Amino acid sequence: MNAIVIEAANRSKVRQRLSELNLLLLVLLSMIASAGVMALYSVADGNWSPYAMQHGIRFMLAMSVLIGIAITPLKFWLSVAYPGYVAALLLLLLVPIIGDTNMGARRWLSLGGFQLQPSELMKVALVLALARYYHGLDFKRVSTIFGLIPPLAMIGAPVGLVFLQPDLGTAILLALSGFSVLLLAGLSWRFVVLGMIVGAGGVIGAVKTGLLKSYQIDRITAFLDPDADPLGANYHPNQSKIAIGSGGVDGKGYMEGTQSQLDFLPEMQTDFIFTIIGEEFGLYGAVVLLLLYLGVFFTTLQIAMSAKSHFGRLLSFGIALTFVSYVLINTGMVMGLAPVVGVPLPLVSHGGTVMLSMMAGFGLVMSTWIHRNQDTLRTSGFGS
Amino acid sequence: MRVEPFDTSRHMAFTRRATIMSGGTLALFGGVVFRLYDLQVRRHEDFRALADDNQFNQRLIVPLRGNIYDRYGAVVATNEQDFRVLVIPERTKDLRETLLTLSTIMPLTEREIVSVMDKARRQRSFIPIVVADNLDWETFAAVNFHSTDLSGIVSEVGTARSYDPDAGAAFVVGYMGAATSEDISRANREAPSTEDAEKTELLYRQPGFKIGKAGLERTFDANLQGEAGSIRVQVNAHGRVIDNYPDTSVAPIQGEPLGLTIDKQLQARALEILAADYGEYPEGTQEPHPVSASAVVLDVITGDVLVMASTPAFDPNVFSRGIEASYWRELNQSPLKPLLNKPVAGSYPPGSTFKLLTTIAAQEAGIAPTTRFHCNGSFPFGGRVATCWKKEGHGPLDMEGAIKHSCDVYFWNLATQVDIDHIADVARRFGLGETFDLGIGAETEGTVPSRAWKRAYYRNDPPNQTWFPGETLSVAIGQGAVTATPMQLAVMSARIATHKEVRPRLVRAIGHELIPEPVFGELGGETEHMTVVRKGMNAVVNEWGTAARSTLLPDFQMAGKTGTSQVVGLKRDPETGRRLRNEELPWRLRDHALFVSFAPYDNPRYACCVVVEHGGSGSRAAGPRARDIMRSVLEKDPGDGLRHDLWSGGSVQRVARLGDTR
Repeated sequence: MNAIVIEAANRSKVRQRLSELNLLLLVLLSMIASAGVMALYSVADGNWSPYAMQHGIRFMLAMSVLIGIAITPLKFWLSVAYPGYVAALLLLLLVPIIGDTNMGARRWLSLGGFQLQPSELMKVALVLALARYYHGLDFKRVSTIFGLIPPLAMIGAPVGLVFLQPDLGTAILLALSGFSVLLLAGLSWRFVVLGMIVGAGGVIGAVKTGLLKSYQIDRITAFLDPDADPLGANYHPNQSKIAIGSGGVDGKGYMEGTQSQLDFLPEMQTDFIFTIIGEEFGLYGAVVLLLLYLGVFFTTLQIAMSAKSHFGRLLSFGIALTFVSYVLINTGMVMGLAPVVGVPLPLVSHGGTVMLSMMAGFGLVMSTWIHRNQDTLRTSGFGS
Repeated sequence: MRVEPFDTSRHMAFTRRATIMSGGTLALFGGVVFRLYDLQVRRHEDFRALADDNQFNQRLIVPLRGNIYDRYGAVVATNEQDFRVLVIPERTKDLRETLLTLSTIMPLTEREIVSVMDKARRQRSFIPIVVADNLDWETFAAVNFHSTDLSGIVSEVGTARSYDPDAGAAFVVGYMGAATSEDISRANREAPSTEDAEKTELLYRQPGFKIGKAGLERTFDANLQGEAGSIRVQVNAHGRVIDNYPDTSVAPIQGEPLGLTIDKQLQARALEILAADYGEYPEGTQEPHPVSASAVVLDVITGDVLVMASTPAFDPNVFSRGIEASYWRELNQSPLKPLLNKPVAGSYPPGSTFKLLTTIAAQEAGIAPTTRFHCNGSFPFGGRVATCWKKEGHGPLDMEGAIKHSCDVYFWNLATQVDIDHIADVARRFGLGETFDLGIGAETEGTVPSRAWKRAYYRNDPPNQTWFPGETLSVAIGQGAVTATPMQLAVMSARIATHKEVRPRLVRAIGHELIPEPVFGELGGETEHMTVVRKGMNAVVNEWGTAARSTLLPDFQMAGKTGTSQVVGLKRDPETGRRLRNEELPWRLRDHALFVSFAPYDNPRYACCVVVEHGGSGSRAAGPRARDIMRSVLEKDPGDGLRHDLWSGGSVQRVARLGDTR
């Protein structure tokens, strides 16, 4: 009897939580993913396979993951933040041992016919763990050396591992999202400036000491001198600039993009998908897509502001910043504003793990929204 | 330590930082949008031009090659539909597998498969490779039917050079072949500009494109080739054509046609006559004899080469389509030398036909035609005795009689009084030792011996050899070092007949331009000196001379001279020492048979030379063949412009044929 009551209560709780989902966020995410389906349909010369259909199905699956995460209490996510981070770190450690090599980089784990990119999972896990850390940390200690060492270690370990895979783009993104949580947590500007100086020194050191692979250096020097090596390192950015530029204000029309349809941009279903939108839908299409991304960003900002818990705030806005970092680096990359570092356009580029990690991230955002009024999240252990 | 769950200070810090970072994000998005504006609005035109450059390309359209016609406009060489099968490696799943499957539909050897695979490795995978061409309709249809199942196999109808098999014109027109890398670099060197060089190279690299490799096809390649057209095509990043735009295309221009002086019908007739059995070998004396012979007929007024026949010949179509190694070996190793262009590249001791020149040289040296010498069958000279071909002797003879009977002793007598350098001078004046720039290459000069020649020839072993009078004796009767080609001997008889500087020509018209008929100037020397020579030649044929059986009387009066030239010295039976007759010798040791002639005697129009290699005797093997050829020529009278419509040149055609682009 009792059990039935509890069960019924649980069910009604689930139903109540479902009714509290932030529909605006879901609609915006779905619209972005639909743009992805459209672009991928065009990339495949007007075919559902191999990209568009799969992309749609993945989005549905990722959406159910999002909802599942959303209706799970935020308390739970707080409690699994550290274990989740450790698990993601272990998976990252496994990559060099049993990972698959693809185009010269070892980034993938095969899990029974399903390929996983642990570095993508780490992006969410890192934000989660940092939010958890600062949630339990006295604000006065945020800008102290001892308060700074654990988060720097938490950021440094996965960034280093991913950098060695080598996956420069993801390493930069991880570092960016990690440091943006530090900023949000109220890290003193002095440390921020110091960190920037150290970071710049680190980059120069990496180039000087040969830590960067030669093709990575090529891409960076190519970025600095766009006219050099048009068939080599600059082939992709030059061709994508031609594609976007030739699209003009209103674009060449859906499936009419000559650059994209005639294979001038190989592998464009992944990182260079933005070019097909710029070429076929023109300035209008590209701006609409960017506005959708901004919509997601500000909706998430609003969710973060509405949350009573520090954990929820840091978590949501950290996810939002990670999300826009993807967008900014990717669009900058395809338009010659940033070096080609292999960052996908979230929810539009073809690729399962990025979709899953981003949607899982927004699941956490949604959970924050549903549980925004729970302010008394108890913490214990590390950092409390 | 317990952290306050609702710590105002850190919430306020978060709000501040979040606001700043949102502003930053917004600014960065603004930057991205500005970049979009920069690319898509401000620099849109530039990028659109670049995108067009990327996707549009000019492609060549292969021009049709100019036809080659005989003097009346009958086709000697033209372009024919060519059913061929190509493979595009890029579109096959597995090139080898595809070719193996193809070999079940059409004949395809392992070697051919390997050669296609080799080619595929050397070029970009979207360029089609010719697997087989010149297919019959059944095979082509079968491949066509199955090609939908065979991804990457394309059957198409192209054009290929085709030669009239009846024209026997292989040696005149030459043949075609694929351009080699040397051909391409030569064309590049000769091109007036780099742009032209690029265009030519592109054309030469078109699959199935052939250039002239020999003969007139080679000499007049530039005229025959035509001008490639072009078409704007849309290509993808791999250069594969996606679409084409015929509206903007430039049609190719067919190459200029070429008009020959050759009479195709007479040429065919001459080849028939050369190959026919004239019974020059008594039955049972030897194995079935092969005929290796050549004939040239000239129009002595215009120099037109009416017949230039060589047998056995080869089929130039085979060369154009790619010759098989076994056939090539067979051609190359045959003792009949089917690859040798005998009329201009075969040089033979002219034998008694040279006596005509000795006669002229003797007259110029002051010996009157009435001068008589007695022939008793032998001629002692320098301690040795040379024998006339007629052992019994000819008795007393004047010049005309000596020509008529081809008496060796008479000419030996003349040789003692004429200097070799003078004889050489006359020989050159009458066309020996000369090439005529006919445009077919392969012409050989032959040898006109003189003192200077001997010094040059024996430069080192030992040097500075002097000329012995005995050698003049040999040359006087066309033996020894002197050699001439059938073309040169035909020119010689034409010059004797007209006493003009007749030069042969093979090409009457290039494109719509008729080459003006040449007017030949007087030859050096005295025209009167010809009289006795011509009379003698008439007597040879028509007054029971050495070629009495070759007379064309009463229909036509042909004048001629036989020649029988030794290939090796006198052949004797090793046991009895008896001089062996030709019939008793192996084929390759027998004498060459020659005959030169002109007709009609009183108003010469045609000159002819027939050489039958190892034919045994000029009067039996060469004379009758020349007679029959000359009869055909005289009956048809191809030089009579009133009786025949000569080809007047063809206009250049712009042929819009868009099928052959890639």
